[in-house]
Amino acid sequence: MELQICNLTKQYGKKTAVDQMNLTLTSGIYGLLGENGAGKTTLMRLLCGIQKPSSGRILLNGKDACSMGEGYRRLLGYLPQQFGCYGDFSALDFLLYLAALKGVAKKHAEKQAEELLELVGLADKRKSKIRTFSGGMKQRLGIAQALLGNPRILILDEPTAGLDPRERIRFRSLIGACSRDRIILLSTHIISDVECLAEKLILMKAGKVLQFGKMEEITAGMDGMIWECIVPSERAEEYASGYRFGSVRNAGNDRTVVRVFSKRMPSVGAVQVKPDLEDLYLYYFGGGDRT
Amino acid sequence: MRRMITFEFRKIFTRRIPVLGMGILLLFNLLFLSSVWRSMYATDGREAEATGMQAITLDKRIAEKYEGVLTDKKVKQMLEDFRPTTDLHGMNAAYLYQNSTQSAAYARFSDIDGNWNGLTVRDVYGDEKIQIGYVYGWLSVSQELVRIFFMLMLLEILMVAPVFSGEYGGADSLILTTRYGKTRGTAAKVAAAFLAAFLLTLFFVVFDLTAAFAVFGSEGLDCSIRFAPSEFTEYYIPFNLTCGQLLGYQILLIFTCTFAVTGMTLFVSAACRSQIAALAVSLAVFAAPMICNISEGDPLYRMIVLTPVYQVQFISLMSVDQMKNGLLYAVWALPEAFVLAAVGGGCSRKIFAGHQVS
Repeated sequence: MELQICNLTKQYGKKTAVDQMNLTLTSGIYGLLGENGAGKTTLMRLLCGIQKPSSGRILLNGKDACSMGEGYRRLLGYLPQQFGCYGDFSALDFLLYLAALKGVAKKHAEKQAEELLELVGLADKRKSKIRTFSGGMKQRLGIAQALLGNPRILILDEPTAGLDPRERIRFRSLIGACSRDRIILLSTHIISDVECLAEKLILMKAGKVLQFGKMEEITAGMDGMIWECIVPSERAEEYASGYRFGSVRNAGNDRTVVRVFSKRMPSVGAVQVKPDLEDLYLYYFGGGDRT
Repeated sequence: MRRMITFEFRKIFTRRIPVLGMGILLLFNLLFLSSVWRSMYATDGREAEATGMQAITLDKRIAEKYEGVLTDKKVKQMLEDFRPTTDLHGMNAAYLYQNSTQSAAYARFSDIDGNWNGLTVRDVYGDEKIQIGYVYGWLSVSQELVRIFFMLMLLEILMVAPVFSGEYGGADSLILTTRYGKTRGTAAKVAAAFLAAFLLTLFFVVFDLTAAFAVFGSEGLDCSIRFAPSEFTEYYIPFNLTCGQLLGYQILLIFTCTFAVTGMTLFVSAACRSQIAALAVSLAVFAAPMICNISEGDPLYRMIVLTPVYQVQFISLMSVDQMKNGLLYAVWALPEAFVLAAVGGGCSRKIFAGHQVS
């Protein structure tokens, strides 16, 4: 399965949310990273067909997705950043309703809904009204509905927002387990989720793709430029501010590990480390000059 | 498809405000109906006098005496039988009320003192045969039904307005990305809205008619509405209809109104992004023709009286000239309801399925 994005552009008045984007997605998990307003949600909505592109096309195996209609939508599973539920429905009814809309046969729908509720940890709340759910429980229900009908293209916008660590781990296992033969596009600000799950990264800024490829390939460009040094805690902030970006973590005993981006050894005793996704994020979206 | 309709149906009937509205309407309905027979009064002008259910029995007994086709002989007999026994202190006897038969006769054939005004049945009704009997009960029911059905329409607007607009709060992004979300899903919404509105109307029609039958029986259904006390607005319908025919038209118009209003409201519901806006606009669209002050001579009048709000009030619509085939102009409400339902249902589906989620 191949999902091609060809010269895709979406404009809202004078603002261009997605700008001449070209991508080809095949089976696998893709992490979509970008700062707020980069156009991630718009891209996802365009891929789901709930927004019309100003220009450009989306092709699924060479066919125009827009003209495929139901044929394309039956392959889709979508979790929006924010979604509305029906407060008077139970979790099970909500899933059964969406299963009906997804065209899942009645006998399979109930079984699948029960299984998914079990997977997202809502089995004991299956008959509870959604009105009584917390934000995290609603999010889990959203994940369950996205997985209904075994979609081949799964688009998840901030799926782990509002989930506690245990649920996030559960979510990672769930997505990891069902990634085979599917295109999964995952947008999140939680870097560790992307690190754990994504095989490839799409970095977006101002509607354009900055980087697209495997994580190691993208971070390889930063090899030799990430340093860690241990400084007294009271000097940590001052030290980090001297570099293009820096992150700090407590090392105990009034000492702090400062992680900085520098082409040269920043100070005596600094240790060169392997760049991770957080460094990459800060490099592209942390502000400042990138030359 | 049936599963989708069932779920849409549940959505409609689990929203708190419409459910509360249904309860309130049912309560009002009971109050209105009970007020019909509680307010009944009748006297034979001599010794018998009664209120409530007893008044109905007395009124029926009096009417029974004159049953059949109205003749000059019967008119004179009525004027004689109900002649005022006390000084009216200047009050016009035409407005005197003792019982429904007396009131109908005096309104048309009495002078200010309660004597015959010289008009014959032919003078008042032409060549039409006027079947007389106890029509007061069914005409009272018809009047109450106007109030009940008007409130029912408001309730149906309240019920249907969130069908599409309620989804714009965030569920639209889920629905529209499902396989059938833009096709059968929207069709299920439209079907459920029409079905819910139809069933609700049917419930109140059956409930009210059953209650009315229990109280008034079938007496008067074959009698003309032309020989009724002048307090009834039905008096202004210039056709020799029986009470049964009048109720038939009224029921037909309430169903056409139901479909027309549902179609209109669905359209507004899909076009408005908020439930409150959808409700306010739907109510405004429904009620707007009432503020048009157009005389009967105006060519626009025939169009205005065909709007749903006049269908539910039905007297103005029923007063427009009869057509050549003998049917009343009011039957045009049928194709009108069909068009509004089809256009409203079709357009609302298209608007919802094609909207861009923001």
